[in-house]
Amino acid sequence: MALDRFGGVVSRRTFVQGGLAASALAALAGCGKNSSSTSGSTDTASAGGTFKFYISDPVAIDPYNLQESEGTQVGHCLFDSLVSYDWTKSEVVPAAAESWTVSDDGTVFTFTLKEAKFHNGDAVDAASFKRGWERLADPSMETPGEIGYHLAPVAGYEAFSKGEATEITGLVAKDDKTFEVTLTDPMADFLIVCCHPGLAPVPQAALDDPASFLLSPIGNGAFKMDGKWESGQYINVVRNDDYYGDAAKLDAINFSIQKDPKTALSEFKAGNMDFCQMPTGQIKELMSEYGESEDGYTVTPGKQCLTGAEGSIYYLVLNMDDPTMQDANVRHAMSLAINRQNIVDTLFEGVREPADNIFPPIIDDKANAWQYAKYDKDAAQKIMDDNGLAGTQITLSYSSGGGHEDIMSCIQADLEAVGFSVSQQSQEWAAYLSGLTDGSFQVGRLGWIADYPTMDNFIYPNFFSTADNNYSRYNNPAVDADTLVARQIVDEEARKEAYRAINDEVAEDTPIIPIMFYSHVHLGSERVKSLYYDAQGKADLKNAELSA
Amino acid sequence: MSEETKNDLEQANDELTAPASPKATKPAEARTLWRDAWKRLKKNKLAMVAIVWIIFIVLVALTADLWAPQWLGDPTAADSTTMTANSRLAPSLEHPFGTDTLGRDVLCRVIYGARVSLAVGLLATAISTAIGLVMGAVAAYYGGIWDTIVMRLADIFMAFPYTLFVIAMIAVLGNGIQNVFIAIGLLGWPSIARVFRSAILSVKESDYVDAARAMGASDLRIIARHIFPNSVASIVVYATMSIGGAILTESSLSFLGMGVVPPDPSWGNLISDGQTYLATQPWLMIMPGLAILSTVLAFTLLGDGLRDALDVKMKDA
Amino acid sequence: MGKYILKRVIQFIPVFLGVTLILFALENIVPGDPIKLMAGEKKLDAQTELNLRVTYHLVETDDAGNVVYDESGNPVETPLWKRYVMYVGGLVQGDLGTSYQRKGQAVSDILLSKYPYTIKLAVVAIILETIVGIGAGMISAIKRYSFWDVLVTLVTSILVAMPAFWLGMLLQLFFGVVLKNATGGGFYLPVSADFSPYAEFQGWVYYILPAVTLAAVSTAYTARIMRSQLLEVMNQDYIRTARAKGLSRRSVIWHHALKNALIPVVTYIGNDFGAMMAGAILTETVFNWPGVGNETYRAISQRDWPIVLGSVTVIVVLVMVINLIVDVSYAFLDPRIRFDNSGKEN
Repeated sequence: MALDRFGGVVSRRTFVQGGLAASALAALAGCGKNSSSTSGSTDTASAGGTFKFYISDPVAIDPYNLQESEGTQVGHCLFDSLVSYDWTKSEVVPAAAESWTVSDDGTVFTFTLKEAKFHNGDAVDAASFKRGWERLADPSMETPGEIGYHLAPVAGYEAFSKGEATEITGLVAKDDKTFEVTLTDPMADFLIVCCHPGLAPVPQAALDDPASFLLSPIGNGAFKMDGKWESGQYINVVRNDDYYGDAAKLDAINFSIQKDPKTALSEFKAGNMDFCQMPTGQIKELMSEYGESEDGYTVTPGKQCLTGAEGSIYYLVLNMDDPTMQDANVRHAMSLAINRQNIVDTLFEGVREPADNIFPPIIDDKANAWQYAKYDKDAAQKIMDDNGLAGTQITLSYSSGGGHEDIMSCIQADLEAVGFSVSQQSQEWAAYLSGLTDGSFQVGRLGWIADYPTMDNFIYPNFFSTADNNYSRYNNPAVDADTLVARQIVDEEARKEAYRAINDEVAEDTPIIPIMFYSHVHLGSERVKSLYYDAQGKADLKNAELSA
Repeated sequence: MSEETKNDLEQANDELTAPASPKATKPAEARTLWRDAWKRLKKNKLAMVAIVWIIFIVLVALTADLWAPQWLGDPTAADSTTMTANSRLAPSLEHPFGTDTLGRDVLCRVIYGARVSLAVGLLATAISTAIGLVMGAVAAYYGGIWDTIVMRLADIFMAFPYTLFVIAMIAVLGNGIQNVFIAIGLLGWPSIARVFRSAILSVKESDYVDAARAMGASDLRIIARHIFPNSVASIVVYATMSIGGAILTESSLSFLGMGVVPPDPSWGNLISDGQTYLATQPWLMIMPGLAILSTVLAFTLLGDGLRDALDVKMKDA
Repeated sequence: MGKYILKRVIQFIPVFLGVTLILFALENIVPGDPIKLMAGEKKLDAQTELNLRVTYHLVETDDAGNVVYDESGNPVETPLWKRYVMYVGGLVQGDLGTSYQRKGQAVSDILLSKYPYTIKLAVVAIILETIVGIGAGMISAIKRYSFWDVLVTLVTSILVAMPAFWLGMLLQLFFGVVLKNATGGGFYLPVSADFSPYAEFQGWVYYILPAVTLAAVSTAYTARIMRSQLLEVMNQDYIRTARAKGLSRRSVIWHHALKNALIPVVTYIGNDFGAMMAGAILTETVFNWPGVGNETYRAISQRDWPIVLGSVTVIVVLVMVINLIVDVSYAFLDPRIRFDNSGKEN
């Protein structure tokens, strides 16, 4: 996947009614087949047990640099931010904060904290939040963090990150239990930003001994570190019995670091893994063996394969600065020539959905399909013939590994079938990324995983002329203007309509070619009594249960 | 190994240094040397099997366009309308090695993969041999400071962990078959240079080289006409053995996704593709592996045979 | 002897500088800016990027730690030579720098956490290689032309011609999949490394398949060298004399031939051990081994140059030391060898 960076969770929609289904099934469970092998050192007598969870090696587990899915998964276990997002209720709910108020002008957020302790016994107070948040943007850290941008709306952020100020003035610990955040401009969605596990409190120990905090962070979450992060091997956490909320049901979690999903699945099959991914090519086989989850997000015995939709899209980036790609006919013919259903069926065994516009259905299912984002070989052929495009040279660039080879070979075959002359450029990830950034590519690929599952998060970053992720170098002043207008619309439905209209505008230009929408391809073991894995890829391990 | 191999001391490629080359011989005698060698080689059954296998693979690779696609279908392109039905079929009469995920015939891909492997084996070896010969000649013939510079350079290259160095080179050059030639070729020269250097040193002071020099022959002419033919035997043996090594290196690079660019097949990326289906469709990784094994084995056996036939002694360090 | 060692160390310095200099040069021409890559496909905001460049000494700062700008207002990049000098300066003090991609972790800490696995694997592999290789080579030489000789020759030729990663997969297929299915999970080996406290097996079990894979090719070479050396030694005059004097064949082999035949074998094994210290990238990749090879490969592809530099530096020094030990140990194995001013003699 491309953009594995996690940015917080928000949606006004209820994705699934997972909670209900899970608890109903949990009542039935408990008599599942005994797995042939269990973890050696697990105490099987108690109901808790050790959950073995596959991750790839994280970038960081210290909150100041939590940025991608793997580290974030661990971060969620170790740290509680002020608030968190409840998918079953689709709203922001209290976590470390008991309650909060927002000033009338929408710039001052005042949080009242719960009575809680860090894993080392220190009290979780307002100062610990200020300390934790400032670490994100502190230029004097051994290695400065990379997720400071979450705090960009906070007053005093800029001066602090430049090293011109010694604190972020917008963060104030009024008293032990009162934490006040002042923004430079009103931002209704700021509460959602506060769900991010990076915006966690840290004890004084984080400043006293940053080197050990990096590998063995001390948090306020339902689990605490057991030993340190053994890079490339594992991260173990155990239940925090002094947790301020309901204690976790699991005794421990063993985040088992594997090189790739293939290896993780081998371990799963050997009985050494409770949660992993289904590598492409084996999804159907695994689904018939382990059963399909009813809602697509909840693992229960016998219904262990998750295929729930994700808010993310895989698309081809067309470099609009490239002379060939400037021709709209070329872009349209390409888009029409690609048999998306075949890619989805053959490579992803029907689990993913062909994409026909920019919004995944769980983000918005009312948007219009793009006229050219469908497979119509004859129409593509007609455009080719009418405009004499036969033999047009196209180079598909992508990062090697990660299964893009097969997708690109399918696309190449489809494009050649209507008369394009196609070659592939498979690059190392680092080289590919520099190519995207400096524009030395013709056609690339990207997977866009939204920071926040809002419609804006699919339009603005991808199509706004100066947005960072606009690798197409798409520049349509009308789209820019409309996007800025849409962002200010307060009324929910009206704003959505505005974004749908922008989607239609972009459709005509086809600066990207939507290929497919992602879905979960995850798999739980028979030992898992229940585990909820949300659309954003966060496993609810606090409430997960294993069979005794 | 057959009974001719009285002295089959053989080591990893870079372990081969300082061969005591055949006694300095005059050009006319060199011709008999080759004729005798061929006679001896013919008696070596394993080497003959190896030659037959190499010729077979080369012929298959060269003529593949004439018959393979008609018989087995396109090795690279996939038909999106029938792909799902043809995906990962088990071996059958129609598809002797089965089909891959995109419904392409694996035998056909193995056949086309032979082109990549042979090309890399031959070209990379040619590049490293060429560089090695020049470097070795400079070091041995001019001696002194030149010798020191070249040999220190060789030391530096040899001090690098080989696989790491190749990977780093590919990172610099980018993925792709031509860069694989270059990377393997560039990094292989020090061993050849050492072999050639000591070969030259052993004939440099011989009478006929002195005679040629006395007659006013240029340095280049002396190296090309007198020294090179006398060390060619050890170079041929060495190069034959490096071909196998280059094929193995290419397969490793392709396995790591740094070699040949899809959809073109190479034996290494076929194994890599097959790794996913190790448990369910193991033939996808077994077949291309057997192709590598048999071909590299053939080059090794041929190298062994040549070494015995040419009576090249390869000493350990 | 001391003089000899000193000479070797001095000879090593230009090699070492050359190797690190080449890596520094590569860092500069390889596509992909490591700082820009730190946040993946997201872009770093400009201030964060600049802060990171300052941290890694990629831009010039004045004495007060402020960034130095050129006339057009861009930060001045630290020249390559200056960074190289800083690197070597750090090395002398035992500082290998800080990783780019493993946030804030010292390169030395990362390598220290990886090396135990690489070293232990190498030791197991070397033991395998020594016992199996020398044993097979001896049998092959002593029972020359027998069935066993042919078998050893055949197997060694095949092992040498096999990609190591492919052998690894075949072993995984047989011991992890086929045996598991055939025996219903009763007897099979783990397919990849797991050293967590929750691992299914005892730690040492995880060494079996990777060690076999890693040792395969070297074992084959060891056997071949052993065989040919033993044959050659047994043809030499003093052995014939010993035989003529009526010593038994067995006694001659054990007391005279073996010791002399072992010298090149020990050299080979010693060098091989040095090579294994580099971490076997392919073996470690196939078995998900948490060693140096895996880490260095990751570092190259993620442009984590401090790690690449650090691990190569350590490897090069280790290899030098091991080779030196091997050479010095000759003197003990073979009294005929002396180290004099002309260096090594053999």
